[in-house]
Amino acid sequence: MPPSPHPSSTIQALIEKGVFDRLPLTFSTYCFDQIKEWELLFEAERVYFERLFGLLGRSEQELVDELFAPLRAVEQKMGVTEKVFPKRVFTLDQVDFLNRSQYYPEWRRVVADIFSRLNPLLDEEIARAGRPRLVIVMCPAELPVGPDRMWMRFKKQGRMIRIDLGTSDDEDFLAKLLTGAKRRAQQKTLPELYAAQKATSPHDAWIVDAGGAVSALAVTSPSGLVKLSYEALQRYRTRLMTQVDQLLKTQDIRGPRQLGAKLKELRVLPTENEIASDPVLAEFVRSVLLSGNGTLLINNTFVEWATVQSVRRAKPSVAVVSFGVRNKIKPFSSLLIYTEQETTTPVPTQADALGSYVDLEMLNYYVWTEFEKYPEYRRNTVYYFVGEGMDEMLVLAPPDFPLLKAESPVSLTHLFEMARDWMQL
Amino acid sequence: MNKRCFVQLAGLSIAHRILPNWLWARPTAPNHDDKRKVIIVTFGGGVRYSETFAPEGLRNIPALAALQPKGLFFKTCANSGVLSHFNSTASIVTGNWQRVDDFGFQPPASPTLFEYYRKQTGAGPTDAWAIATNKSFSSMGAGSHRDLGLPFGANVVLPKQLLLEAVGEVIRKKPEMGVASRENVLRQLEGILNEGYEGVGWTIFKAGRQLDQSVRNTLTRGLIEYIHGPESPTSGDELTFFITREVMREFGPRLILVNFWDMDVAHWGSYSLYLQAITRTDRLTGMLWEEVQSNPHYKDKTTFLVLPELGRDGDINASNGFLNHRSGDPSCRNVWLLALGAGIQPGQSDRPIQHVDVAATGAAALGARMREIAGTPIREILV
Repeated sequence: MPPSPHPSSTIQALIEKGVFDRLPLTFSTYCFDQIKEWELLFEAERVYFERLFGLLGRSEQELVDELFAPLRAVEQKMGVTEKVFPKRVFTLDQVDFLNRSQYYPEWRRVVADIFSRLNPLLDEEIARAGRPRLVIVMCPAELPVGPDRMWMRFKKQGRMIRIDLGTSDDEDFLAKLLTGAKRRAQQKTLPELYAAQKATSPHDAWIVDAGGAVSALAVTSPSGLVKLSYEALQRYRTRLMTQVDQLLKTQDIRGPRQLGAKLKELRVLPTENEIASDPVLAEFVRSVLLSGNGTLLINNTFVEWATVQSVRRAKPSVAVVSFGVRNKIKPFSSLLIYTEQETTTPVPTQADALGSYVDLEMLNYYVWTEFEKYPEYRRNTVYYFVGEGMDEMLVLAPPDFPLLKAESPVSLTHLFEMARDWMQL
Repeated sequence: MNKRCFVQLAGLSIAHRILPNWLWARPTAPNHDDKRKVIIVTFGGGVRYSETFAPEGLRNIPALAALQPKGLFFKTCANSGVLSHFNSTASIVTGNWQRVDDFGFQPPASPTLFEYYRKQTGAGPTDAWAIATNKSFSSMGAGSHRDLGLPFGANVVLPKQLLLEAVGEVIRKKPEMGVASRENVLRQLEGILNEGYEGVGWTIFKAGRQLDQSVRNTLTRGLIEYIHGPESPTSGDELTFFITREVMREFGPRLILVNFWDMDVAHWGSYSLYLQAITRTDRLTGMLWEEVQSNPHYKDKTTFLVLPELGRDGDINASNGFLNHRSGDPSCRNVWLLALGAGIQPGQSDRPIQHVDVAATGAAALGARMREIAGTPIREILV
């Protein structure tokens, strides 16, 4: 039996009204799967699904039928039936069925068309309720290039701003940028200030950190603040690698499908990280670390993927994203995705500053494009792209953001103040 | 023992392990005739135009960029099938879009080029090989058609699996020793050789389990020499190159599929590692071409086809750019093919071709004909 979801009363009413049952199988099944663990969804996701199905529920059935007619036609060609697509069950078997169908490209196109008609309606509501947002993306001091070689893929979209670095700014660069003061002053960071004063959900201000430096600046824990640090998750990561490795060696797991079911059980423990007390975040981190990409192994992949997923799912109002320098990958270690390199090889760990630079040129770009995909961020968001210790930064912002008009170098404290003012803190 | 000596001995000893016993009832001299040979090299794992033959990508592929003027370059070679590794390469070798299990748990659903070639020409079992870094390719050598199938399939060799098992064993049994210690790895390899090859990748044909002690020692020494030697490998693709070259030298087969795969490290989210892998594959492909040129049994009689197995997602509007390859956008589907070798007129072609055309082309070059396939021979290559 498929699990029974416990969605909001709004969604429950729509289910009872038969909204899901009137939709094509692949669409309704997928959506039902998305909401079946309602209690593990972020607030923004819940609101999205309520709006999406609310829109479909209040639309005339004739219009809904017309919207989904092409999808029904493709499903028929694909041979979609309740046998291969049981109502409200969506597993990797269904993903596999879609992927292997010769009509899969057509199916994707038709689904994209449906959303291209639905999204403008949904986006309009979002845009009407637009409010200022702030994204600060930081690169580590160790990168072997100057600001003239940074953010090459998208710097034309914004403006390079010179920073007036004082004598003590090397040491206090991060603190001054994020708190407006030296580290020892222990002032609140921008995400803390926002979470304490304005957070609209328990996950509205995020710090995603490759190391611990930025997380360490946040000394308070107001509701609404999320702190994720790759470094702080080390115990959990190590346990995941060990357990996955054991699973693969000791159990009859034929492939990703079978492994996926086992991985669902590997939640973070309270002794490993404080996020264990928040079921939504705990599941978020589990899924980020076990998504099959390099999030377990590479700090910056974790930072990028966690950020991208937070944008897609939680739509944070403030995000501070801090990349680091990744280690060099050891010979043949690509064979050992679930093995902790630090403990299994005597080859000394070495930082790969040049490789990290190449990686971050792409990952910075991906982070920016991900935010800009959503109406919550378009035309509302100030982006600071900063290299720690660098005397220039990239700013992308709405035209009325004062920094864009700066004629002379700006101090770190002033950058903080402008960001704080933008967020009306 | 010098390297060349090892190569000869190792090649023969490998053959003992990977070939069926019945084969040894027949003479197995290397195929040194003058007939056309075909080598298909895939940039497995997937690579985008933007990192290869786009103007900004050429710096990642210096070897292929230098070879391009000597070959016929097809600007569009489309993968219209399932964008998974096994299905993509299976489509290349069968000439039909494959929709089997994504992870290699099923053989291709239709016969392969290897089977048609061997059955129709009477070629022996050492005359068709698939050498793959991707360890899920063990069933790439043959489909399951009742008139064809394994008896006519290719020898499938998964070189990386050999080291994977060895390294895994070292970690499991002696975690304090460390995986990168070559001596440890090699001691473990010796252990694996004692246990037989079946579990370490050399498996498609059931090999006899009895291995002469001196042959086993020779192979072990050979691996030691290789890992310690000037070509010491650091990745699976380098091992695949080494094995391919040995197979060419020892058996001279007329048909080889070489699957490089390191660039799939892109899934780890490191763009620099992805670029490094592309450049390494480019270098190894160039070295294979050099081997073709320097080996009298291949020079001037080999059709050498290089193409990506698939592309990867584009940077815009894709799920996560270069990390993945499932979006189905043009960056995933539209790749290229470079044809080099015997009789091929250099140039560039705007005529779109497809992955499924490769098998038909290979068959025609080898004097075979594939039945009921979606692809058609690429006439420009068959001059």
